[in-house]
Amino acid sequence: MARAGNALRLAAVSGHAAGLGLVPGMALADARARHPALATQPHDPVADARALAGIARRLRRFTPRIAPDPPDGLILDITGCAHLFGGEEALCAAVRAATPFTMRQALAGHAPAARALARYGAAGQEDLATLPVRALELPDEALAGLRRAGLETVGALAARPAAAIAARFGAEAVVRLRRLLGEAAQPLDPLAHQAPLRFERRFAEPVGHQAAIARHLLALLGEAVRVLEQRGLGARQLLLTLCRSDGARQQLAIATSLPSRDPALILRLFDERIASLADPLDPGFGYDTMELAVPLAEPLGALQPGFEAPADQSAALAELVDRLATRLGPQHLARLVPRDSHLPERAQRLVPMADAPAPAPWPAPAADLPPRPLLLFDPPQPVEVIAEVPDGPPHRFRWRGMTHEVRLAEGPERLAAEWWCRPAGHLAGHGGLTRDYYRVEDGAGRRFWLFRHGLYDEAPVPRWYLHGLFA
Amino acid sequence: MVPDLAAVPLAAPGAFPPLARGQLHEVHCDAADWASALGFALAMAGAGHPGPLVLVRGPGRGAQLLQPCGAGLALLGIDPARLLILTVDNAREALRSALEAARGAALAGVVVEARGALPAYDLTVSRRLVLAAERSGVGLAVLRGDAPPRPSAAHTRWQVRAAPSTALAARAPGPPALLAELLRRRGGPAGLVWRLEWNDTDGTFQPCGEPASPTSAPARTPPSGAVVSLAARRTGAERSRAA
Repeated sequence: MARAGNALRLAAVSGHAAGLGLVPGMALADARARHPALATQPHDPVADARALAGIARRLRRFTPRIAPDPPDGLILDITGCAHLFGGEEALCAAVRAATPFTMRQALAGHAPAARALARYGAAGQEDLATLPVRALELPDEALAGLRRAGLETVGALAARPAAAIAARFGAEAVVRLRRLLGEAAQPLDPLAHQAPLRFERRFAEPVGHQAAIARHLLALLGEAVRVLEQRGLGARQLLLTLCRSDGARQQLAIATSLPSRDPALILRLFDERIASLADPLDPGFGYDTMELAVPLAEPLGALQPGFEAPADQSAALAELVDRLATRLGPQHLARLVPRDSHLPERAQRLVPMADAPAPAPWPAPAADLPPRPLLLFDPPQPVEVIAEVPDGPPHRFRWRGMTHEVRLAEGPERLAAEWWCRPAGHLAGHGGLTRDYYRVEDGAGRRFWLFRHGLYDEAPVPRWYLHGLFA
Repeated sequence: MVPDLAAVPLAAPGAFPPLARGQLHEVHCDAADWASALGFALAMAGAGHPGPLVLVRGPGRGAQLLQPCGAGLALLGIDPARLLILTVDNAREALRSALEAARGAALAGVVVEARGALPAYDLTVSRRLVLAAERSGVGLAVLRGDAPPRPSAAHTRWQVRAAPSTALAARAPGPPALLAELLRRRGGPAGLVWRLEWNDTDGTFQPCGEPASPTSAPARTPPSGAVVSLAARRTGAERSRAA
């Protein structure tokens, strides 16, 4: 279902719906009137294009020259490929078997003819002359004119002089007719095929010497960097596979946070990776093959470093992050990210560097917000508190066996629970306990953040917790 | 270690040497004063340079229980977006990571948290850290909680303790205050004690004299009649916001 103008129309129908008499282009209201139980989905042209590109990639094994014909066609140039699959018929069958969709196929000497036969011809038709003039895909007025003139088929039109056709139906009609008949060339725009970034060294004799291995790795990196440079890419992930002469394989993977093709940097990351291995690399009797693959690469333009300008700080930081992440593991590096909540433990989150959004300045706290502690206890620590009056600030509290006399206190700062996050939170008594926070300082000058969990009308005996420490 | 810092007369505020960039500093503290020592180290490291700060957090239950709070860091002049938190499995890894980080010039500072004895931290390792910090100009601080001082190549060694703050109106705790004793300093006098108080206008810890005793403060003497004490800040606003 798609929006065309102001009406919702069917963009595509399933085989079953087509059997019920529904056709693409029909208004949704008409279709619903005929079949009230009609199930519809919004039309997603982007997903269609992606699926088409996916099929094109899958059919690459039949021919290297595949051009997508949006919205729903593919043109395969099988010149010189058919015999590999046992002839044209067998190739067609193999293509049908390789795709999960129903399709109409047509073979012709050139692409526009095959396209027109597939879209407008009957199954198995090879004769272009009997195709309807619709196959020229001319504007509506030109088609209407052709019909009025009694020209129903391509063959009938082709029999007329070109000058007369051009004069009556436009020059475009002649161009399209000549392309369809193979008299004018229409270049095919096949999908560019990128060879995967994989570089290999095979050795006649196994290589076991560390210096030799390092030299070959450097050479592989040099090759990879050359190709990346040609394609304007930078590596984000690299995978080194070392095949030992006894059949064992060792794989080393590294990742960079910025695309890079700096061999020194990549080599340093590999060094870190090797240093962090639990059991060190053992070449045994030597390596037969070394293979360097780049599974993930991103565009990276050529950089012009300034002569005097300071080095880019963010690049230096990214390099440090990569080195530490390669050694410690990416989950060990984290950044604080603010969250939209007024509860202190939910107002922030520790997010691993790899998933963290780009650092943005911390949201400024409200002007009347009392100070927050430097360190938060997770979970809050239960404490025993004696208060002067039940609703007042603590007078003395006991934490980890130590008694702290409160010298100065400020509060309460009352924070309600997030009742909207609870299943029955809008009902009285189910919204969670309110917290009364107090900022207190003991006799030694240590500042604590205590809270009483629950008001006296919410909990009969509210408990006290230590939630944070101030500097 | 230090028996009672409060009894030691305070040194002149002008002689206070801030934790310089490009040097290695050791900050000793009791476990109870951890937040004060961390605030001291982070605020000192973060003040001199706008770059990112690396906080290397060690293993152990103590470290896992306490999480840095973004809003609290912002109060000490450190934008939490600048903070890179590194969690490591052992002390050796912590020192290696700190060394790695100190070699990059893009950072404002590196703070290493270490609780208890730190056998991996010896003269050689600390000398390496010193060299890396001197070359790159990154400020390095090793925070040592509940640990006896060990011989090291650090430029300064501090003992930090929370200090009673200057009370605000209505007996509310004032800005962060701490006592810092310079235990050791390469090429300089040591054994001096300063009382540092957070200065919100300057965004730094600044040495200052003794606070006015809260017992002599006029707020202490209760006015006649039943009067409800007023909070220093308007906390009642919280209720309308959260409810």
